[in-house]
Amino acid sequence: MLQHFPLIWKNSVRNKRRSLLTIVSIAASLCLLAVLGVLYHVFFLADAAPEQAQRLIVRNKVSLTNPLPLSYREKIKQVPGVAEVMIYQWFGGTYIDPSNFFARAAIEPEKLLNVYSEYKVPDDQWKAFVADRSGCLLGRKTAERYNLKIGDRVPLIGDIFPVNLTFTVRAIYDAYRDNENLLFHFEYLNESMRTSGQIGRSDLVGTYVIRMTGPEHAASISRAIDDMFRNAPLPTKTETERAFEVSFLAFIGNVKLFMMVISAAITFTILLVAANTMAMSVRERLREVGVLKTLGFTQGGVLSILMGEAIVISLLGGGIGLGLAGLLCRGLSGLPSTFVDMTRFTLTPAVAAGCMAVALVIGVVSSFVPAWNASRRNILEALRVTD
Amino acid sequence: MSEPIIQTRGLSKEFARDQFKVVALNGADLTVDKGEFVALMGPSGSGKSTLLHLIAAMDRPTSGDINVLGQNLRGLSESAIAKWRNAHIGFVFQSFNLLPVLTALENVELPLKLTKLSKSQRIEHARRALELVGLADRLDHTPRQLSGGQEQRVAIARAIVTDPDLLLADEPTGNLDAVSAREVLTLLGRLNREFGKTVVMVTHDPHAARAASKIRYLDKGALLPEGQQPEDWEVR
Ligand SMILES: Nc1ncnc2c1ncn2[C@@H]1O[C@H](COP(=O)(O)OP(=O)(O)OP(=O)(O)O)[C@@H](O)[C@H]1O
Ligand SMILES: [Mg+2]
Repeated sequence: MLQHFPLIWKNSVRNKRRSLLTIVSIAASLCLLAVLGVLYHVFFLADAAPEQAQRLIVRNKVSLTNPLPLSYREKIKQVPGVAEVMIYQWFGGTYIDPSNFFARAAIEPEKLLNVYSEYKVPDDQWKAFVADRSGCLLGRKTAERYNLKIGDRVPLIGDIFPVNLTFTVRAIYDAYRDNENLLFHFEYLNESMRTSGQIGRSDLVGTYVIRMTGPEHAASISRAIDDMFRNAPLPTKTETERAFEVSFLAFIGNVKLFMMVISAAITFTILLVAANTMAMSVRERLREVGVLKTLGFTQGGVLSILMGEAIVISLLGGGIGLGLAGLLCRGLSGLPSTFVDMTRFTLTPAVAAGCMAVALVIGVVSSFVPAWNASRRNILEALRVTD
Repeated sequence: MSEPIIQTRGLSKEFARDQFKVVALNGADLTVDKGEFVALMGPSGSGKSTLLHLIAAMDRPTSGDINVLGQNLRGLSESAIAKWRNAHIGFVFQSFNLLPVLTALENVELPLKLTKLSKSQRIEHARRALELVGLADRLDHTPRQLSGGQEQRVAIARAIVTDPDLLLADEPTGNLDAVSAREVLTLLGRLNREFGKTVVMVTHDPHAARAASKIRYLDKGALLPEGQQPEDWEVR
């Protein structure tokens, strides 16, 4: 097989335009497939970051928009395995323009670094943030994107909460992930609700974030919390932070199935394209099949030469497609990570290997039938074919 | 002292065409001795190519026995036949049949890829075969860059590169001008005399047949006895 590679290679590039078109269409499809694979990996397969694996999110069982009472905090704190419980209240709102998208949330500063141990803040800045009730802590990425410095004012126009809040940037945190948030004092929000006459909206919490003593407690803690509030007026749903992230995707339907159907459709389409090309190119080689057999090539040898050509073309297309996908992923990983950690958008070896396997399968499947039939041809019949 | 290299007994080949049966070869008894240069002649459709294909084991007889180089061809499997043909038969076509994507050198190297020879040995053998046919300066030319006569000489180099005992040629000069045809015939003659190759050549051309040491005629599928020609042969 290997000693036939020069012939296989030269045959592959014999009809330049056709080979190029086939390679390009395989590359485009595999690029798409790879990006879908990366998405799938990020959404459903990638392990939680180690710090993230330590955290659970408690929310209202009915939906995220229904709150939980403030009084749950102390009860949750009592559950064995819970190291810390912190309020995490999604604020939303608009910063200057609705297209400026990053997470803004109210938290409890004194607990934050205990729960989010991956956040790194300089000591003096941290002290300034804790001391200023209207101060905010900004992720490095967001600070850089909007060119915000310590001491700058950040006005937010409320939507979920009908208040406008203005913060002073007191600290900027670094983190290898999740470094785009604007975080501020829950007390500040709660009090604004009270003073603006929204008493009904005060002392309510969207979610609690728990840091466990170890990730192995996730199941038992979740069960214990949800059991505790099962018969309360506002039952809870407790899940890992990772699962919570993924549940955001549910609102665009069955993402998993959708992605699988698209992938299957892409693979099938490209298979048809490749099969058509291969059928054409094998038809052009029929006479050569007779010549090769006259020289002593066996049916198996001829088969491997004909299929080798398809495999070379599809692997080339696959390689180019993966290169494109790599570039695309690099672009995507710069997008805001509000709901999904976009920094994880890299072409993993597993996805790359999977795509090359798909390319190989396309090469094999698309060429097998015509190559098999051609290789079985009687020598004289094959030689009689005129070009 | 003469050693038969091809021996056929009652060799027949029928083709089924639609409902009709075509008897392409009818009970041919042919003996070719080692070192002979035999020309096969006869009218179109008389079975010359069919006989040559059976000798090369490119087709199987309907009945009769065929023994080539001491090998009974009827008993061999397809893959054994392929191997046997690679090692013992050189075949030259009327229409050259070089692979267009390969250079002259690569075309000649091709049959050697089925042997155990190393890459450098293969190249060395192929280069020597091309020198022998007078194309040492055309190694890197593709078939498209060669004249018909040169293409046929490359094809002959390809046929002899495995050093086969038997060289079979089906109208090797049929597509060539007179000058190129003479070159090819001279080459086949040399291979026969200097290198001891046994040659069986199908031809229509009486000039070409003169290069051979013996002419055998076929007529309507029958191999005529030595020295005998089809009745209306001279008239043609
Ligand atoms: N595959 C086939 N199917 C049906 N008939 C065939 C087949 N091959 C050859 N024949 C017939 O067998 C007969 C002998 O054919 P063959 O090719 O051996 O003739 P030939 O002497 O080589 O003729 P030519 O000089 O034209 O090449 C012809 O009548 C031909 O039509
Ligand atoms: Mg013929």
